[in-house]
Amino acid sequence: MAEETQLNEPRKRKFVKKQGRKNSSKKPKVIPVPHGQKKVKIDKNMKKLFHKRARNYNSDDEEEDEVAIPATSITKKNKKDIESEELSEDEGAARGEKTLKKNHLSEDEGEDDGEVLPGITKFSEGCRAFKMAFRNIIKKSVPDEALGPVLSGHKKLIVDKLAEEEAERKNKGEARKEKHLLAEKGHVIPANYLDTHEKFLKSVATKGVVKLFNAVNKAQSVQKGLDSSRTKDAKEIRKRTKEAFFTELGKPLRHSAGTSAKANASTGMEEDEQPAWAPLRDNYMLTSSRLKDWDKIPANNVSNDDIGKGSEDSSSDED
Amino acid sequence: MRKKKGGVFIKKQKHQPIQQASVDPITGKKIPKSIVFSRGKLPSSLKQLQMDLRKLMLPHTALNLKEKKRNSLKDFLNVAGPMGVTHFFILSKTPSSPYLRVATTPQGPTLTFKIHEYSLAADIARSQSHPRCPKDLFQNSALIVLSGFVSGDLPLRLTTNMFQNIFPTIDVKTVKLSSCQRIVLLNYNKDTKLIDFRHYSIRLQPVGASRRIIKLVQNRQVPDLKNLRDVSDFVTKAGYGSESEGDEEAATVTLSSDIGRVNRASTKSAVKLQEVGPRMTLQLVKVEKGLCSGEVLFSEYGKPDGKGKSDDEMPDIQDGEEDSEGSEDEEESEEDGEDAEELD
Repeated sequence: MAEETQLNEPRKRKFVKKQGRKNSSKKPKVIPVPHGQKKVKIDKNMKKLFHKRARNYNSDDEEEDEVAIPATSITKKNKKDIESEELSEDEGAARGEKTLKKNHLSEDEGEDDGEVLPGITKFSEGCRAFKMAFRNIIKKSVPDEALGPVLSGHKKLIVDKLAEEEAERKNKGEARKEKHLLAEKGHVIPANYLDTHEKFLKSVATKGVVKLFNAVNKAQSVQKGLDSSRTKDAKEIRKRTKEAFFTELGKPLRHSAGTSAKANASTGMEEDEQPAWAPLRDNYMLTSSRLKDWDKIPANNVSNDDIGKGSEDSSSDED
Repeated sequence: MRKKKGGVFIKKQKHQPIQQASVDPITGKKIPKSIVFSRGKLPSSLKQLQMDLRKLMLPHTALNLKEKKRNSLKDFLNVAGPMGVTHFFILSKTPSSPYLRVATTPQGPTLTFKIHEYSLAADIARSQSHPRCPKDLFQNSALIVLSGFVSGDLPLRLTTNMFQNIFPTIDVKTVKLSSCQRIVLLNYNKDTKLIDFRHYSIRLQPVGASRRIIKLVQNRQVPDLKNLRDVSDFVTKAGYGSESEGDEEAATVTLSSDIGRVNRASTKSAVKLQEVGPRMTLQLVKVEKGLCSGEVLFSEYGKPDGKGKSDDEMPDIQDGEEDSEGSEDEEESEEDGEDAEELD
């Protein structure tokens, strides 16, 4: 330990000195470093001595390594790594050191033994004991748990805690999933193709549209070529439309009675049930305009009654 | 109208007059208007469904209706009077399933449908290889086709009536075919008692021309002629046949007027439908005489004995509104009185 302190001292000084050097050109007074020390540092002999001491300190470990663990290469490597790191910390002097070390290896060792024999033996033994313990731990095959190696009795506690957390998270996820499921209840993502049911619905809708378009076509072609502004033509139109409507009205009735019973039973079901005169129907005034609106209908729409009825019928015709 | 505290906020649009004409200019009929809103908190997919329904009800609906948590049914009812709203679509969600209530304002009746399955418009567009949405698709109201509602019992008749009146009636004399762009289909299945709700867009295509010619006319794009030796090859060379030429025979119409550039009057055109969405499978669960209240005319889950018992059958829906609804009944009748005075 004494050596360590010895070693540390020059290190620190060196560092300080470097800083001082860099700064000294600009601000020489910032760090009051004794000039004598600097000179000592520069001195080659002193440098050698420091290197030697440092090596001594390091060689302790190296020696131990070589002696004690020839077998476990991994630990050795590790140690060496650490060692080299330590060395590199010594202001890049490691290279030079090594060459020096080789030259004076025997000398150093002899010196080492001679100097601090009583303390070192114990230290090395302690070191070895620690190493053995460390190796034991390293060698231990750890069961491959998610938890990983945990040293002491905390293991159980941590396991419990983690398990609890996991369960909680699971619960939360389940709750959220459930909530999502509940929210999405009834929501169906349609298939990319048309199944038979959809096809059937589409055909029903198409039939409805075709029927309506045909009805519109018939109704509107009737009044072609007649000018509704002239009273004579207007009368004619009214007459024609009336006739056309009643014929149109009659058709779906018979049609539905005959054919629609099987497939498209819906056609004209309104007419089946309900009387033609609007006030006799069940839905008369049920949903639409109020009774008091009766006088609000413009007077000029005399034929409105007929047209209205007709349109209603034909609109239900499309059903 | 007095100022109400928690009124429904309807975003004003600059270009449009706030109040659309409530009467059709040509036929003189009252145009039904509707608003779509929700009761209670909806999950995101149902909110999307609500938006889809609003789009479906365009143009006579409030597309950007903002509702707040504190809005009660009464608030919507108060707005409905002056705005000329005739129908309510109310979406709600219970743990068991989502529900759709369709009601006539201000007196009812109310039909409650259980939504067994639904798909959003986005889902359907995603499932199609070429989803179609022309600009003017939503500018005119949809046509309605009801199919399969044959049996004459009350709930079904009510349903047909309700849905027929939700969309403006068309006058065959004056209607422009170009305004018929969409169709809503309600198909009742007698066996399962489920109603299929579908929404299609209508497309007309000239019949008789080859596929290439149709495409050339419709797309306004210069065709790729690099593989052809002569221009005439473009016309004469037979392309692969159209998808389902056989089925189209029944679905052809002769038009009375031109529609667009391609479909000329007095030529044959094929009617083609493409689904737009949303898609729903509904089951009629309950019919009430009033607006979300009143005598129960029909209930799927038991015999409608009276007013009190019906509420137990579907407690989940009524849950949030139970307290407010008690007062709504009184308010409703009061409201009617007010309306009458105003109109006089």
